[in-house]
Amino acid sequence: MSESGSSGRENALHPDDRHAGHGHSAIPYIVVWIALLIFTALTYLTGKQHLGAWALFIALAIACLKSALVALIFMHLKDSSGMTRLVLGTSLVFVALLLFFTVGDVATRFRPATPAGAPFGTERSQPEGLLEHELPE
Amino acid sequence: MSPEAAHLPEGILAHHFSSLERQNEAMRLGMWLFLATEILLFAGLFTGYSVYRFEFPLAFAECSRHLSLTAGTVNTIVLITSSFTVALSIHFARTDQRRAAVVCLALTLLLALGFLGIKAIEYTAHFHERALPGKYYAFEEVKVPGAAMFYTLYFLMTGLHGLHVVAGMSVLSWLLWRTNQGRYSSLYYTGLELGGLYWHLVDLVWIFLYPLLYLI
Repeated sequence: MSESGSSGRENALHPDDRHAGHGHSAIPYIVVWIALLIFTALTYLTGKQHLGAWALFIALAIACLKSALVALIFMHLKDSSGMTRLVLGTSLVFVALLLFFTVGDVATRFRPATPAGAPFGTERSQPEGLLEHELPE
Repeated sequence: MSPEAAHLPEGILAHHFSSLERQNEAMRLGMWLFLATEILLFAGLFTGYSVYRFEFPLAFAECSRHLSLTAGTVNTIVLITSSFTVALSIHFARTDQRRAAVVCLALTLLLALGFLGIKAIEYTAHFHERALPGKYYAFEEVKVPGAAMFYTLYFLMTGLHGLHVVAGMSVLSWLLWRTNQGRYSSLYYTGLELGGLYWHLVDLVWIFLYPLLYLI
């Protein structure tokens, strides 16, 4: 933001409050809004191509980038105290743990490890060719 | 009491805080702690989604292509713009432009209504096609195993997100009223800022829902 060079160490404890008042600029918000619209268009265009294995990776990468912009600029994380960042960081670590181990479990199962009548490991253990099946547009 | 606190309207600085800065910091921390629990709440659903998408990749891709990509894309643009107008309203409040702040909050509420309207049109279409969750699933066009799971997760995720939109609209309406009264200014705007944080979270969740549901 434009005040990045703002004076003094005395403000270091409450970095966000130094933006109060008339010096505050709306330009970063406009830039982020336009960037978010461009990234949405990018998600739409790449998503429509159905790029196979890369599709999910590209979609999630763009979504993470968009989220980072919203969190840093719209939610003022860029200028807030370390404490609020720590809270967000901690929750994201636990989201990652939850996703990684749950999907990791499902992804590493094989037929003999799947109990009879289990809801999982049935469709996926069918021939690989199933994935190349023609899908309606 | 800090010097600026003397100029504050009644009832903003609670007596157990030594200064407004400390109160602001405590408020922000409290809000972020709440947002962390919200993130974990949605993470449960995203994990369920990941597991079932991994198990039924074909069914998920096929069901996804029966959702209205146009509706999903327009709603993404609507929510992103509403996030932008909330950010602007806080900017206007902290630069003492009360009228502009009120207008931006009103715009945000209109966009939120638009979002819910588009979602309602989509839901109506699903009900007509009987593309419903769980045992109520009777969609003629997709009859692959796992299709009902896609719609179960779709309704759970967009439904919980929709509830958050409604909750956010209630909070923003209240903040609109308080802003109009002149409570938020360059002296104090943290209350409005926290309401904005909640709305941005609603936007963040949708940023992930959009590609995961509409663009498989």
